[in-house]
Amino acid sequence: MKRYLFTTALAGLIATTPAMAHYGMIIPDDPMISQEDGRSVSLTMSFSHPFELDGMMLERPAAFSVTHEGVTSDLLDRLEDASVMEDQGYTLDYPLERPGTYVFAMEPQPYWEPAEDAFIIHYTKTYVTAFGDDEGWDTELGLKTEIVPLSKPFGLWESNVFQGIVKMDGEPVPYAEVEVEFFNQDTAATAPDELMITQTVKADADGVFTYAPPAHGWWGFAALNTADYTLPQDGEDKAVELGAVIWVHFEEWTGQ
Amino acid sequence: MDRPVIRFLVFAAAFATAPLGAMAHQLIVFASVDCEDVTVEAKFSNGNAAREGEVRVMDGENTLLTTLSLQEDGTAIIPLETVDHASGLVIEVDTGSHDNYWLLTPDDIARNCRS
Repeated sequence: MKRYLFTTALAGLIATTPAMAHYGMIIPDDPMISQEDGRSVSLTMSFSHPFELDGMMLERPAAFSVTHEGVTSDLLDRLEDASVMEDQGYTLDYPLERPGTYVFAMEPQPYWEPAEDAFIIHYTKTYVTAFGDDEGWDTELGLKTEIVPLSKPFGLWESNVFQGIVKMDGEPVPYAEVEVEFFNQDTAATAPDELMITQTVKADADGVFTYAPPAHGWWGFAALNTADYTLPQDGEDKAVELGAVIWVHFEEWTGQ
Repeated sequence: MDRPVIRFLVFAAAFATAPLGAMAHQLIVFASVDCEDVTVEAKFSNGNAAREGEVRVMDGENTLLTTLSLQEDGTAIIPLETVDHASGLVIEVDTGSHDNYWLLTPDDIARNCRS
């Protein structure tokens, strides 16, 4: 069986393939902060191909916020420039003052993708729970498009299913396509076929999708839809791909 | 690192490995502090306040400093001047069927008193 090993030697080959999926990324150092872990969380933001660890330019986002106990706070000015996957990204150390779920959300600037003749805007979010309190784990932020979790988006064992509702303008999106990709942080994962880098599931008639990852780690879910508006590029109106992205960490099973 | 902090961290580590009531309707204990008071909050994982329970306050060397009762809203107030908090505080809440704790390190107290 042919087997692609995604080494540096193959990186150039991969870069020319159209199968690569773009993902907005918000990755905390820990999705479940206990009181023994400290009193803050460190976040890394990027726009990347997470399986191949291929970074892209992430302009300073249009918005970056945290929502906790129903209150949303603007954090845009607190983002620190950083190199992530050898491209422009950001970091943030955020103090956790109280228990509960903190939802970090990013609206990037429209990204012009010539190969797709379209703009890409991935509304990206990640849920972090602090100090043993998971209240707020199913928070809906009211973004233009978002995945609202039906499964708690942390504290999942590997191979547990994750379910969410794809929403656009607050309404479920029937049969939405959801791309799923693993953040291949230690490059240990290989794919027997390019089709295995980004998997795709469809939501049902109520916009609900289900996925069970084969391994622990960070998994990104991106529900992609075309916006009901266009943006100008080179004197023409171009389509806009809207992504509802959520990052979920699955924990390593500790039993036999 | 000064010795009170070291002692507190050693004690905290021992506490962290002790068996806890991590069961359905887990008790969640949190304590915030300003320059005057420690405010203890205890609720269950379903969001309901713990309506009764004993609050035990210990220092960083596990010496019991004081005990008091939760109020019906799941809170308790401990005036800072009534307890020796130099080595940090361990706030333990026991409802009879569930218990849990929150650790206030010397740094927690100093940081929040400054802010």
